[in-house]
Amino acid sequence: MDVLIQIVASGLTLGAMYAVATIGLSLVYGSLNMLNMAHGAILTLGGYICYAAIVHAGLNPALALLAAAFVCALVGLLIYFSAALPLLRAENFETNIFIATIGIGSVIENLMLKGFGPYPIPQPLAVEGQVVIGNVHIPLQNVFILGVAIVLMVAVAILLQRTSAGRAIRATSMNREAAQLMGVRVGRVYAQVLALSGALAAVSGIMISSIATLTPVMGGDPMLKAFIVCVVAGLGNVYGAVIAAIALGLLEAATQYVLGVRWSFATLLLLVILVLIWRPYGLFGKQQVVRL
Amino acid sequence: MTSIRRDILIGLVCLALAIALPIVMPGRYVITQSTLFFIWAIVVVQWNLVLGIGGIFSLAQMALFASGAYATAMLGFYWKVPMLAAIPMAGVITVAVGMLIGLACLRLRGPYVALLTLAIAQVMYVLIVNDTDCFTTVGGCMPLFGGVRGIGQFGDIGLRALFPSKWYIAHYYVGLALLAVAVTISIVVIRGPLGLAFRALRDNPGYAMSRGISRFKYQLWIFAVSAFFTGIAGGFYAIHFRVVGPTVFSFSTLLFLIAMIVIGGLGSIWGPLLGAAVLMLADEGMRELSDYRNIGLGLLLAVFVIAWPNGLNGWLQRSRTSRG
Repeated sequence: MDVLIQIVASGLTLGAMYAVATIGLSLVYGSLNMLNMAHGAILTLGGYICYAAIVHAGLNPALALLAAAFVCALVGLLIYFSAALPLLRAENFETNIFIATIGIGSVIENLMLKGFGPYPIPQPLAVEGQVVIGNVHIPLQNVFILGVAIVLMVAVAILLQRTSAGRAIRATSMNREAAQLMGVRVGRVYAQVLALSGALAAVSGIMISSIATLTPVMGGDPMLKAFIVCVVAGLGNVYGAVIAAIALGLLEAATQYVLGVRWSFATLLLLVILVLIWRPYGLFGKQQVVRL
Repeated sequence: MTSIRRDILIGLVCLALAIALPIVMPGRYVITQSTLFFIWAIVVVQWNLVLGIGGIFSLAQMALFASGAYATAMLGFYWKVPMLAAIPMAGVITVAVGMLIGLACLRLRGPYVALLTLAIAQVMYVLIVNDTDCFTTVGGCMPLFGGVRGIGQFGDIGLRALFPSKWYIAHYYVGLALLAVAVTISIVVIRGPLGLAFRALRDNPGYAMSRGISRFKYQLWIFAVSAFFTGIAGGFYAIHFRVVGPTVFSFSTLLFLIAMIVIGGLGSIWGPLLGAAVLMLADEGMRELSDYRNIGLGLLLAVFVIAWPNGLNGWLQRSRTSRG
């Protein structure tokens, strides 16, 4: 029983972090058909900005979190204006933006390496203490992460469902041409989505670094997992991605306990390959019928 | 002049220049760096077949390269297979790996393929690096795939023994010969029926498929062909550096190679070679600023994709046609 509580607790924390990292990726893919390979670097940048704001600038943690989200939103906008906008006018957008963001991600990552050094730094934004359920001690940090993630997901859901900006985003991801014909300014939607995705990445970077440590390359692993989540759910499906993220977090915690840390990622991947062979468009994705 | 004749002419001129290089510049540094260039050029030329001609957005090429290198090293280390036999065997093993990855990707579309292949490469890396159980204890604890330190002491093709002081020049010519074969294969594929089939599938998939061109069949073919030479290049890399470690999976190598293809020109015959040459030279130039190397590479990659998506090759072709 204690083992089960332990697995569920750490699985939910993992799942919550993956979900926040994934929502941004999924939104961007849904509306622009863009796989943002710089997402991992932006996520790490968020963690470092928060660290720098607290340690060097002496900001209080809540302000530091906002500062990180704001800077990363700006980076998202920068990617839109410097890369996505010019590439949208040319052919092969999906391939080109993928390669371009690999380059941009590498630039951001290596700038952080120059600025903060290669050594792991602890994230100062941490909550002390623990909760006891049965015989299991769960750090308050995990509860805090889960809380922030839930708040963010609810906020994004309200944004998408209840506001006119959210309606525009959903309309664009359903059918770009139709949205355009109905007077949706798709350019503005793209910019909003990339900024939002940057801000969400920053928050998930702070969460991830608060239970591990900050290193310039820490973004790669969560980004790959976020992509796996997106692929399993079906690229661009935001709500499916949240469910898949939590399921994968629980699964990862369980495999880590049963088979050991070494096999958890390999098991995840094997599962993904099987899912993709069974349903090439993901669990919640709709098959696109191409008429010739 | 037909395009195939022009290709043969360019190929022969490049080959002649490359054969003459060790006579003109016999310095060891130049020769070993050129050998490394040949290895990357083979990988890039084969990757271009999948990426540029097949239009399959696979990032598995470094995983295939690593399969070839590891297969060569392990055949030599565990079974004492002579290297001259081990390298072709590694090529065949890599084809098997490539076909498996190809099969896993067959039903997927562009970005799904990229993510899946990237994840496969990452898993291979994680499994090798995190393996700390001793598989054999001959000469110290050694995991099955060599763990973080990699595998060494698996033999040689004998050129080091044959030319004790000039072995690196011998390796240079071996690399050159392999590259020449790899480029010839790529010309045959691009100009031959396989290339025609892929162009047809790209330009009008419906018509091509109704004329009986099977996407399934050709996709597997192109994966197999490109995997074979990538695996051989991996094997040659193994004997050239005498050690195979998990660094072959590193993301910066992947970035370096994909930048070669993009900067040279995706889908063309000579573009990737040109890109490989330009980037190897640029890398030499940036050696002093090693900290900024990956920043420069990333910027170059992004700028080229955004401003010149057809790469240097496209730019050369445009200036040629505009002159008449």
